[in-house]
Amino acid sequence: MKTTLLAVAVALSATAALAQSMPAEVTEPVTITFYNYNLASAGNGADATRKMIAEFEAAHPNIHVEGVPVQPQDIATRLQADIVAGQSVDLVQMPFAALGFAAENLGAVALEDIVPAEELAGHFEGMVPNGLELGRLNGKTYGLAYTFSTPVLFYNADLFRKAGLDPDQPPATWAELKEAALKIKASTDALPLATGIYGPTALDWLMQGVINSNGGAVINADRTEMTFASPEAIEAIAMLRDLAQEGITENLSITAQMEGMAAGNTAMYLQTSAIQGYLVKGATGNFELRAAAMPAFGDKPVKPSNSGSALSLHSTDPVKQRAAWELMKYLTSERGYTIITSEIGYLPLRPSIVNDPEYLGEWVKAHPLVQPNLAQLEKLAPYVPLPGPNYLQIGISMMDAMEMATFGNDDDVAGILTEAQERTQRLMP
Amino acid sequence: MRLGHLHLDPTMTDFAAEPHPPRVLRRMTRARRFRRQLVPYLYLLPAVACFVIWIYEPLAQAFVLSFQQWNLLPTAPKTWVGLDNYRNIFDLPKFWQALGNTWYYLVGLLPLAVLLPLVIALFTQDLPPRSRNLYRALIFVPMIVPPVVAAAVWRWLLDPSHGILNLGLQGLGTKPIGFLSDPDLALWTITFITGWKLIGFATLILSAANAAIDESLVEAARLDGASNWEIIRDIRLPLLSPTLMLLILMVVLLGAQWSFSYIHVLTEGGPLGSTTNIYYLLWQFGFGSLSVGWSSASAVILFVGFGLLAAALFALKAKVTFHDD
Repeated sequence: MKTTLLAVAVALSATAALAQSMPAEVTEPVTITFYNYNLASAGNGADATRKMIAEFEAAHPNIHVEGVPVQPQDIATRLQADIVAGQSVDLVQMPFAALGFAAENLGAVALEDIVPAEELAGHFEGMVPNGLELGRLNGKTYGLAYTFSTPVLFYNADLFRKAGLDPDQPPATWAELKEAALKIKASTDALPLATGIYGPTALDWLMQGVINSNGGAVINADRTEMTFASPEAIEAIAMLRDLAQEGITENLSITAQMEGMAAGNTAMYLQTSAIQGYLVKGATGNFELRAAAMPAFGDKPVKPSNSGSALSLHSTDPVKQRAAWELMKYLTSERGYTIITSEIGYLPLRPSIVNDPEYLGEWVKAHPLVQPNLAQLEKLAPYVPLPGPNYLQIGISMMDAMEMATFGNDDDVAGILTEAQERTQRLMP
Repeated sequence: MRLGHLHLDPTMTDFAAEPHPPRVLRRMTRARRFRRQLVPYLYLLPAVACFVIWIYEPLAQAFVLSFQQWNLLPTAPKTWVGLDNYRNIFDLPKFWQALGNTWYYLVGLLPLAVLLPLVIALFTQDLPPRSRNLYRALIFVPMIVPPVVAAAVWRWLLDPSHGILNLGLQGLGTKPIGFLSDPDLALWTITFITGWKLIGFATLILSAANAAIDESLVEAARLDGASNWEIIRDIRLPLLSPTLMLLILMVVLLGAQWSFSYIHVLTEGGPLGSTTNIYYLLWQFGFGSLSVGWSSASAVILFVGFGLLAAALFALKAKVTFHDD
């Protein structure tokens, strides 16, 4: 009874606030909070985010932005704790996987409900349609695509040359990757391959891309059946197991992998392009860092999955809504994406700035690293979120089984995955 | 002189000797009796209230939650699912792995948290006071270091490429060991770190208990020609047995709980679930995957299991300990 009353109260206050429209401008000083996970990381965009906030505050003297660093896996619990405590929650960098949850349970506001139609259309013009679509639920925009990345194969050109490989011809398929890795293993003492596939923060975002690229899928299209024990998926995991058994890749933590690559001790790293800024810092004056597209399975087309976040607005006060919307517009403007791409490593969701000398034109010429990432934008297969109230447990169980199949002592990949699929199917809604 | 006005009223002189009217006496004693009976409970009330609010009520709520499904949001409904939560966690291989690991943690902690401190307490008792205090202070320092800080420092010490332990091993010619990344070693590494932190605490308790042993017993034994080992075996150990049993009880019941910070900072339950234990899994269910029902079901299982273990240990303690009366 108490919870339904509370839910009704939250809904009523939200609709009551929406009934008043937000002002056209912010005329009095106001403070808004910006929950952000780049701010919480050491190597992934904290400085660039602070820079964007500072530039925005300089252009809008009436608005003060309070950045709140939160780890991405804690955003849902942190938000609900702060909402219940009565804190002002205004703008949130919401991982795509949690967007549905945010719209239903955390009070994310549909932009169509508060922003005049012309202003909205004007801002959306020039943004990549794929990106806008990901933030839409039931026809309304609850999240504006903000940071967006695809998996990219970073590689150390110096180590390639040392192993007798041509850095201009990076491996394009997993078979080529294995050959190159074996050569690297034989002639250097570097770790041939690191991947961001496993780990507590990854859940299944990269794994979906790997399995999709082999023609399989982790879950079926209407999200009612787990399909990660299909022959294509088993084949993909068996391929990974083979790499592990040959000593080409090891089960290291994400920190160890990032540090290893940035220090020049790892030859290839398949990970979100978002760590580009961090790797570039480590590579400067140390080794030559290059990037290639995600490897393919033979002739099958690569289907990289996206990781990233959208900006969701949670204010109920009209003045704060206007302030938060202004910040949203700034962060997703040409200038915002210029900083996001050049200083962090995410994709520019306004393709027009790539060749524009005022924005990214010069930078892209000097940093060819971003090209594979941009090219993959066309081939994206969107990440399919897992359904139901037990979605996290389903994802964790599935990834645990896959990690066991890849790095464990049991060779029976098909058996492990099939058993896990039956088990997680029981957790489906 | 006329004494007429000094005539004393006979009723006044007898007034003091007469008892109070019966009605008034009964009313006062009943009220006073009731208040007198109430006072002890009033003294107990704050302590009992604390117990009820912070221990019994959450326990009851956890029991009820273990039959429901909830994702920790106050605005989300709690749906009744009966025994589904229990079925789901028994289905999970990780749960059984965590239970097995919990057992290894407890058994692995005993040498470090009970045996080694006993040896240290016995060996440092006869030292001159200055060096004894110095040794005891050095041994106690790990206890004061915050757990997360200790875990971070250990992570650097054990790093396969840059940690001094592995650099030392490489100097001796062996390959670097992944103390925290090898599924066979990680559990023992964390057990070691947890035990290392507890040595100071256990040493302190055992030293105090040792010092409380009556010296005349030891002198008498020496006069009879007992060797050091015989004194330890026949006098000190039996008289230390209450403290030893208490320590064993604490380690067995709380040991896996103490390892939580180190697991969380160093391995997050991995690699491949080899360092997770029932406490860590419980936390992961509740706050990692927001399944409060699963978390509560694991908590109930833990409560029942450790309750039985505690009862067995208390029975053992009553039988085994020796008191010098």
